[in-house]
Amino acid sequence: MEQEIRACLDQKEYRKAFERLLPEFQNKVFRLAYAMLGEAGAAEDMAQDVFVRIWRALPGYRGQSSLSTWIYAITRNACLTALRKSGMKKDVSMEEPGVARAAEQTRLTAGRGAGADIDILRYLGQLPEKHQRVLRLYYLEEKSYEEVARLLEWPMGTVKVYLHRARKELAEAVARSKMERRTS
Amino acid sequence: MACPEFEYRLIEYADIEGDARACVDTHLAECASCREFLEALRVVDTELTARFSGREVSAAFAPAVRRRIQREDSARRLSFVPEILDFVGWGAIVALLGLMAWWVLPFMPAANPSQAALSMNAALAAGGAFLLVAVFIGLRSLTDLKR
Repeated sequence: MEQEIRACLDQKEYRKAFERLLPEFQNKVFRLAYAMLGEAGAAEDMAQDVFVRIWRALPGYRGQSSLSTWIYAITRNACLTALRKSGMKKDVSMEEPGVARAAEQTRLTAGRGAGADIDILRYLGQLPEKHQRVLRLYYLEEKSYEEVARLLEWPMGTVKVYLHRARKELAEAVARSKMERRTS
Repeated sequence: MACPEFEYRLIEYADIEGDARACVDTHLAECASCREFLEALRVVDTELTARFSGREVSAAFAPAVRRRIQREDSARRLSFVPEILDFVGWGAIVALLGLMAWWVLPFMPAANPSQAALSMNAALAAGGAFLLVAVFIGLRSLTDLKR
């Protein structure tokens, strides 16, 4: 697909190239933005902004890096700029309708007993920002270390170390909370 | 919390197999805190999978992006009016200057007939140069229009 898009760009058929890259990259861009911003609504708005930027920048794309690398770099930069500008709260807010609904649904339908009362998003929000980011992206990307490393442009070792620490911290928080509930 | 020597293997429990897995299982059978830690890890995994797995953009996403790009394109599209005015204005200025040169230069007092011929030639050269400039500006404006 990337070859087809590049061929369109070589022929200066920007509209055609854009129409091909939009369905190809929309979910990746959204998930990367979601991992970085921590809110699905904000991530979708950001993904729209990113595609407008891509549209503006397409004539200037010279193919120095792969198209996906270029698109993910634009996404990361846009998210970092937005975070810097707004001083945005990065943990997931329970005010967000989707999250509140998902949490409620989990409680009602999970029937898992063990995790039904765990407010995992609150614990996640208490982790260092980089741990949150890597953990969200790991689950958004169906537990693929390679995809997380590619999207964040981090070395695989760094991704694994952050994930390891993040899961450990979360598991400890969950275990602590269960213990407190048992004693109270 | 978990025994330090087993912590890493517990976090990677789903991915380990063979002897390493058997070793962890043996330890789990006799260590309550490691069992508890593994159970907490499973809760974390289940909860985060439920929250984040399979998230995609809404169906309205692509149409919204296309609308924004269309708006952007309309805002950026060049108007023909300034280009036409540019073309007409520059053409008029150059034509006026050329005409002035054409009329004024031949009537400048000449000391002798050869000087009169010279000033006539100069007027013709100036007129030609202005004509070339007019053609150049016209072409530039037409190129802009085409773009």
